[in-house]
Amino acid sequence: MNSNARRVRLCAVVFVILLGALFFGSLCLGTTVRFSPAEAWRGLLSLLGLGEALETASRQTILELRLWRALVTIGVGAALALSGGYIQGLFQNGLASPSLIGVTGGAALGAAVAVLIVGGYAPRLVLESLGGNAYLIPLFGFAGAFGTTALVVYLSSGGGRTSVTSLLLTGIAVNMCVAGLFAAIQSLTLENWEVSRAILAWTFGTLDDRSGYHAGVVFSGLALAAACIPFTAVELDLLKGGEADAQSVGVDVKRLKWLAIFAAAVSAAAAVAVAGQIAFVGLVVPHLVRLAIGASHRVLLWLSMLGGAVFLLGAEFAQRWLLGDSALQPGVVMALIGGPFFLVLLVRERKEITAW
Amino acid sequence: MVNRLVAEHVAFEYSNGLAALVDASLELARGELVAVIGPNGSGKSTFLRCLAGLLVPKSGTVVVDGEDVVTLPPRERACRLAVVPQFLPRLPDVRVQDFVLGGRYAHLGRWRSATQHDRAVVRAALSSCDAADVESRLMSELSGGQRQRVLVARAIAQEAGVLLVDEPTNSLDPEHQLAVFRSIAELVAGGRSALVVTHDLNLASQFASRAIVMQAGRTITEGPVDRVLTREVLEPVYGPHLFFGRFASGRPIVVPWADAR
Repeated sequence: MNSNARRVRLCAVVFVILLGALFFGSLCLGTTVRFSPAEAWRGLLSLLGLGEALETASRQTILELRLWRALVTIGVGAALALSGGYIQGLFQNGLASPSLIGVTGGAALGAAVAVLIVGGYAPRLVLESLGGNAYLIPLFGFAGAFGTTALVVYLSSGGGRTSVTSLLLTGIAVNMCVAGLFAAIQSLTLENWEVSRAILAWTFGTLDDRSGYHAGVVFSGLALAAACIPFTAVELDLLKGGEADAQSVGVDVKRLKWLAIFAAAVSAAAAVAVAGQIAFVGLVVPHLVRLAIGASHRVLLWLSMLGGAVFLLGAEFAQRWLLGDSALQPGVVMALIGGPFFLVLLVRERKEITAW
Repeated sequence: MVNRLVAEHVAFEYSNGLAALVDASLELARGELVAVIGPNGSGKSTFLRCLAGLLVPKSGTVVVDGEDVVTLPPRERACRLAVVPQFLPRLPDVRVQDFVLGGRYAHLGRWRSATQHDRAVVRAALSSCDAADVESRLMSELSGGQRQRVLVARAIAQEAGVLLVDEPTNSLDPEHQLAVFRSIAELVAGGRSALVVTHDLNLASQFASRAIVMQAGRTITEGPVDRVLTREVLEPVYGPHLFFGRFASGRPIVVPWADAR
């Protein structure tokens, strides 16, 4: 076995162990109640129908909420990082992220529209409000994200071809339009405290009070995107010599682009739909994984998924541990980590950029 | 002789309206090495890309082994036609052996992992191009000449019946120019066919059986090299600054000549 294969295996094992530990840690740790590991384990077993429930019903409920929160965090982190892996592979650029093709902006717009319809938004409201309203924001967020991406792809393909450059430029333009609409909604609802606060809160992202529904949405998107890996990974590797070159060895480049964009859009859309805007996971994680194990998408995409889950769950766990409960929303934490990281990347890759 | 590749009246226009190809035709038989020559901008590379199915002609047809290249599924096309590009727009950050393994893509099975056979084909292709010593190097670490030989090796590993080669000797020293042409000639002797776009009239003269001359997007003349590489054919195309001679074999020599007239 060569050294790279060993590194890949080591990386995967470290990720799985970290993920397991962080998952369990997230069940134990919180503001209201701290569980001992033994108690958390018992509660988990009982949720799986394998044991008796914890002593008090409220403790059991708290554990259940934390379980969903942890699962949604894992799903969101994995989905964002996988989406970033696809986008970076497609654009052949380690500084690309899902927001380039309109996913994030579209989700924000969709969620803002849903907030207007519901008339307010708070983590608790989403969970407690009745009937369809609870599902409205994730649904609209998803529709906005996916719809915007579809629009970008449609507008950038002329004559049956979608060039990556025109995709990039169209993405920038459509993002501007969407941001304009989003700003218009914000400005028109400034007087309505509930609504404008709700829209603002959404842009910070949240992983609190998530339910099985949210986990279902994000893991469905993730599963669809992961199912595309066997059909795109080798092809994305071959794309490294340029599109014409990939085509000449037999890659169906058009199909590859559609599949990669679909996978990137569906996973990122599912993530932002349930958790709001959480930037930088999609940029940072695939980039770091690539530095650690090399650029073959056959392992890069899978390990980005794992790495994204570890990264977001780890960041959540660390800030709960260090700062206490909901000191900062996940979107804010990621922006605080991600901004400086992006700068470091830029400085490191300055040579490459000045060569453009 | 059975024609492997037949192109009839191919025309192509780039999206900016530039008609790079007006009317180009050719036939390529099994076991034949044909050179495509012509001045810069005469449409040689565009023609090659149309033949490879990388560009869709505005009109005309390209047929390989009885099938239209435009409608052939990409992987089947790659099993019949291999392209050696002039250069890569981007150098992939992969090792030489993995890059050449890319030539096996069209042959890979359902789960797309390379078998022992694929790796053996890759090794054989690399050594036939005198590039076995660089197989563990990164593509970006290679010299221009090594890179060119690796590109040829990948096309060989593709095991296609027809090789379409674009300017293979641009960055090579004389010894390696010969090596590349020899490895192409060897494949042709083994029953494959090769079309080589080149500015090197003297290598074309020594290795090709026929030459096709292009000018302003048209194939204007074709025939055995000793009948094409003559003053009568080439002066109207390249202008008067040419010196003509003969190799000991009798094949023509054509070199740029500053003192003509």
